[in-house]
Amino acid sequence: MSLDQFWHYAPSLLSGFGVTILCWAVGSTLGLILGFAIALLRRLEIPPLNGLLRAFIELFRGTPFLVQLFLIYAGGPSIGLRLSATAAGILGLGLYASAYFAEIFRAGFAAVPAGQIEAAASVGMTPFHTMLRVTLPGALIAAVPAIVNMLIILTKETVVLSIITVPELMYQVQTMAAETFTAFDAIFAMAVFYWLLIEAVSRLGSQVETRVTAFLAHEARA
Amino acid sequence: MSAPMIELAKVSKSFGANQVLRDVDLAVQRSEVVCLIGPSGSGKSTLLRCVNFLEPYDSGDLRIDGRLIGYEDVAEGTRRPMAARTLREMRREIGMVFQNFNLWPHMTALSNVAEPLRRVRKLASREAADRAMAMLTRVGLAAKADAYPSRLSGGQQQRVAIARALAMQPRLMLFDEPTSALDPELVGEVLEVMKSLAAEGMTMLVVTHEMGFAAHVASRIAFIDEGRIIADGPPRRVFHESPEPRVRQFLQTYQDRNSF
Repeated sequence: MSLDQFWHYAPSLLSGFGVTILCWAVGSTLGLILGFAIALLRRLEIPPLNGLLRAFIELFRGTPFLVQLFLIYAGGPSIGLRLSATAAGILGLGLYASAYFAEIFRAGFAAVPAGQIEAAASVGMTPFHTMLRVTLPGALIAAVPAIVNMLIILTKETVVLSIITVPELMYQVQTMAAETFTAFDAIFAMAVFYWLLIEAVSRLGSQVETRVTAFLAHEARA
Repeated sequence: MSAPMIELAKVSKSFGANQVLRDVDLAVQRSEVVCLIGPSGSGKSTLLRCVNFLEPYDSGDLRIDGRLIGYEDVAEGTRRPMAARTLREMRREIGMVFQNFNLWPHMTALSNVAEPLRRVRKLASREAADRAMAMLTRVGLAAKADAYPSRLSGGQQQRVAIARALAMQPRLMLFDEPTSALDPELVGEVLEVMKSLAAEGMTMLVVTHEMGFAAHVASRIAFIDEGRIIADGPPRRVFHESPEPRVRQFLQTYQDRNSF
């Protein structure tokens, strides 16, 4: 592929990169919010609700992301859910992510030692303040490494959105490859883009991780 | 005569089929320091945790300064669990120190002490910080106010935990094996703080394996075995004159282990 050809496709590649970031950012945020809500609701331990939430998690963790996307995009209209490819992609990514984030947050809550909650009870703190000031910060700190990991996985999962014609990076690269018969160059260009993105995400992630866990370092000094 | 600060009458508690407290009677008067000793699994910690109802007892009466904790009498012979709000109000007056300190790891030493003052006593943040600083000074840790718990030694963490409980200005303090998780060389600093508290007249109920502390600081020793208090009296009497074979055996084992 000549440089001229590449420049010809550069705008669409850049726009694809933009769409990828958009889908990732919005989808992940949706997944985090929804996952957190699910984890909180599960703590209430209301029997029928709990069963539903568990079924939701099992469903989205137990089926391939690709299948879920097809069901939302192609099957959505039959239940009145008519979405653009991008909207369906973002919704799909968000739902898929929420199932994992729900479990990550649940594990985070479980990681807060009972003693810390007892200490709050022993000074007469309300359940609300205990949650806000003790349980929640502890759970979030414990969950940070798993959250960062999941965000990285989601970056790569955005590739799947190309299959329902979301004009993200993978989709643009495939178009370029098909039109120029230069699969290798195109895929190589794509690899560079994803690598840049994931590098950025994981650097940001490890910075956050270092920050929040700095004061939890286990080696106490005498 | 005023009611004892802590009074247990026929308090019983089971975990499933396992009865851990059997009709326990115990009274702790104002400004008394009572040490609970006994073999592990005897029910000492459970008894202590029943006093602020962290562990609900099943039957009997447990009164703090004359007031039943955990339950409300509805009619003669029937009771129901106390309203959560009332229980919280009672717990504010009862300081508790745990074996594993249970500091909140995401807060500095100062914030650990100030947090309950702000959320429970509703002090303004400035006021809470000032009082917290005064408490840290009292346990000798003013210099560590900005340190997170993970940067403190076990002894320092436990002193912060004591400051946190004291800042609430409780009427009595409960200590659940406060030095058991500490390296031997760090035990002294915690016991010093507890001694000074006792000297100031704080009412204290202490579960401990520190026989030296019990012998020198306690007004009374209660020896508990298989959920029953089988000896209760001044340290000298319990340690040297108890006719109970279980007590003698326990103290003998303790002495054997500590002689070298």
